[in-house]
Amino acid sequence: MKVSYKHLAKCIHSVPSINEISEKLFQLGHEHEIENEIFDLELTPNRGDCLSVNGLIRDLSVFFDTKLNQKYYDDRIENLSLDFTNNAKSKCTNISFLKIEIQECPQAYKGELDNYFKDLNLNKNNFFTDVSNYISYETGQPTHCYDALKIEKEFSLEVIDQEAKFQTLLDTEINLKGKNLVFKSDDKIINLAGVVGAKSTSCSNETKSVLIECAYFNPEDIIGKSVDYDIKSEAAHKFERGVDPTCHERILRRFLKVVEDHAEIKKVELFVESYDAFKPVRIKPDISKINSILGLQLKIDDIENKLTKLGFLKNKNFFEVPSFRNDIKNQNDLAEEIARIIGFNNIPVSKINIPKQIKKKEANIENKLKSLLIDYGFNEIINNPFVKAYSDQSIKVDNPLDSNREYLRTSLKCSMIDSLTYNERRQQDSIKLFEISDVYFSSGQKKRLIAIIASGRIGKNYQDFSNKINNKYLAKIIGEFTNQDTINIETISRDKMNSKINNHISYLEIETSSFNLNILDYQQIYKTPKSYQVYQPISEFPSSSRDLSFSIKDFDACKPLEDTVLSFSHEFIKDIFIFDYYKNENMKEIKIAFRFIFQSNKGTLKENEVNDVINTIIKQALSIKTVQIPGLKN
Amino acid sequence: MSSSKDIKPPVIVKEFGAHHPINRMKDSIMNMLVDFGFEIIEGPEVETEEFNFDMLNIKKTHPARQMHDTFYINKKSNVLRTHTSPVQIRGMLDRKPPMAFISGGKVYRKDDDATHLPMFHQVEGIYVDQNVSFANLKALIYEIIHNLFGKDVELRFRPSYFPFTEPSAEVDILSQDGKWLEILGCGIVNPVVLNNCNIDPNKFSGLAFGLGVERIAMLKYGVNDIREFYKSNLDFLRQFS
Repeated sequence: MKVSYKHLAKCIHSVPSINEISEKLFQLGHEHEIENEIFDLELTPNRGDCLSVNGLIRDLSVFFDTKLNQKYYDDRIENLSLDFTNNAKSKCTNISFLKIEIQECPQAYKGELDNYFKDLNLNKNNFFTDVSNYISYETGQPTHCYDALKIEKEFSLEVIDQEAKFQTLLDTEINLKGKNLVFKSDDKIINLAGVVGAKSTSCSNETKSVLIECAYFNPEDIIGKSVDYDIKSEAAHKFERGVDPTCHERILRRFLKVVEDHAEIKKVELFVESYDAFKPVRIKPDISKINSILGLQLKIDDIENKLTKLGFLKNKNFFEVPSFRNDIKNQNDLAEEIARIIGFNNIPVSKINIPKQIKKKEANIENKLKSLLIDYGFNEIINNPFVKAYSDQSIKVDNPLDSNREYLRTSLKCSMIDSLTYNERRQQDSIKLFEISDVYFSSGQKKRLIAIIASGRIGKNYQDFSNKINNKYLAKIIGEFTNQDTINIETISRDKMNSKINNHISYLEIETSSFNLNILDYQQIYKTPKSYQVYQPISEFPSSSRDLSFSIKDFDACKPLEDTVLSFSHEFIKDIFIFDYYKNENMKEIKIAFRFIFQSNKGTLKENEVNDVINTIIKQALSIKTVQIPGLKN
Repeated sequence: MSSSKDIKPPVIVKEFGAHHPINRMKDSIMNMLVDFGFEIIEGPEVETEEFNFDMLNIKKTHPARQMHDTFYINKKSNVLRTHTSPVQIRGMLDRKPPMAFISGGKVYRKDDDATHLPMFHQVEGIYVDQNVSFANLKALIYEIIHNLFGKDVELRFRPSYFPFTEPSAEVDILSQDGKWLEILGCGIVNPVVLNNCNIDPNKFSGLAFGLGVERIAMLKYGVNDIREFYKSNLDFLRQFS
């Protein structure tokens, strides 16, 4: 909700600065941002009473001397004879209608109505709708305006439970489904109660006779409607959070006053129906309980004083909760009110001593599995459980994000293959991944699975570079913590993969409970690190590789060459490693080969950009005595 | 010139893999809390509405229960838990005060955009005993935040609203660029929730808190896009080895 600083400040005698008001709003729990002297507030759902200037001023009055100088229409108003039937009294306990007929619509606005549109930079609609929007902004109570000439004599409020098309005043057509609370006239829907009115009865710039509806709708009958029908509705936002059920005549008299300030009123009539008299909540403050909740030593006078400032009415030993506060029910609620006024930050801390658990030094099989796999160069991944593929054991999501995520996985395989191919597409030639996750079945069964997938080179160092991953490799690793006979390593077929890569894919999926706990010594692998490495953004551009193979006759030159090449740095170089090494004793020669991986964060590298870097490396390497590149022509 | 025997082959650089940064962060938070005295408990990701909502004082009409916020499964017979709080309910039903336990894991909400994912991770804790107060809660939160972000970090408590705690607060820390960043939610356990778990609210009170693991991991590691955690990109994952 957006509220102008000016509109709040003019209700406070001391006219505090925007920062002073901001600080107090935060203290009260009204989170916001400020832009151009406008507070953009994100209020918690229990504080619907603060969705207005008056509501915020009521809360701020615990800190400031406030004044609400709004004027009301004081004259007697004739009764309106209305052929209205409320067939949903349990959902709408109070409803009022005000019929106003004016001589002419105003050409320009003045006073607070004018300021509202100017200060908040809002677009105008038509006179009565503009007044309705302003009244909602000022008081928090939504009203709805029907063009009185467009509405049939008889109309009703009722719950419908059938599909129906509805043309909104926003010029959109929505298809009502399920149960909806609607106003109907001549068997046509003229208002989706508390959310949006119909185009057929809406006001226009020509409207001079208006019927204003002011109602209390049960929040549960409004909740979700604006989202279901994709309608942005301030009114629904307020009704969902609960409005003051006792304010109707006051609101309508205020509405009338704003109209009177702008136009000559020809006729005005009021219709009021209340089916359930409001009974205020009464709470007897329990001083020791409140102090115990907050950890303070307040006196009863302190508490009473603070509650009175918030509009609570003292009645003997009880406090009556104001009708606009539907969120206050018990001592904890009262304690929160007190704490907000004191300021959460001002409540002193009081250390607690939670009895320490006797730590069981039990072996954690998952930690062991992770340690071992990480030691072999495997990376842990986490996939979300929503998949397209399903089995007769799959759980179906009733409201999936899309048709590709309709089921919960019963196996980790599809996600693991997706992760593998994702990395293959990014030129990774050694891929070793694992995931540990629960999977759930429609039978109610749950399994905790570990899945391991591997493909490509075993490693990039010169011992592993030429060796490719196969099932034997994976079996050897798994054999370190379980009996190989009991596991089944699968070869994943590439037949249905759209890929030119033909590396073997080994896959294992097994319940974690299958592993023997006693293979590795337990070690607590997770410790809060003293510092965290800062992540470097990943390039989305393709990488490329170049190899350089050197021949060294003077063995002493080998180490300087290693140092020179491996320490070479350039913004385009992502990685350098030795992928081949051979010492020929007979020929007195060492052959050593380096691979350079190039990638830029800014774009796809061009051939000449890579060549420039390679030439620099060659130049530095060949400056070392006896180092040569076989076949290199000067 | 050295003899051939003196020349050692290049060192074989062993490539280690890495824990997933979210699991690493989750487990380091949980280990810290275990050191404070909390016991780890676990619960299912497929939950009943009763445990995920009703027992936590989240009314049938609460917006969080709408189909556009919560994943319902098997013809609305169950939900994917929207928070780890139902584990706290199970824990309270199984034990008698005093009790202090934590739970961590995956939770699900029907969101999928640049800043929200349908699956993310939480760690929640609860401590129930006699005379547990908001002042105690503050002391614990200071300890958690100082452990995570250092003793010099400035923090503030803001009143907030959760149906299962009353009073409720959100805690922000002041970033180096002067912005307040929301870090966790906490509060005094609502007496309705204690009652639901057969704990006498006239005799006992409790504190509860919950942290979003991704949020903290993003701050600690400097990751700006939450989606990076779940792409399984080896260039990303290897940075956490």
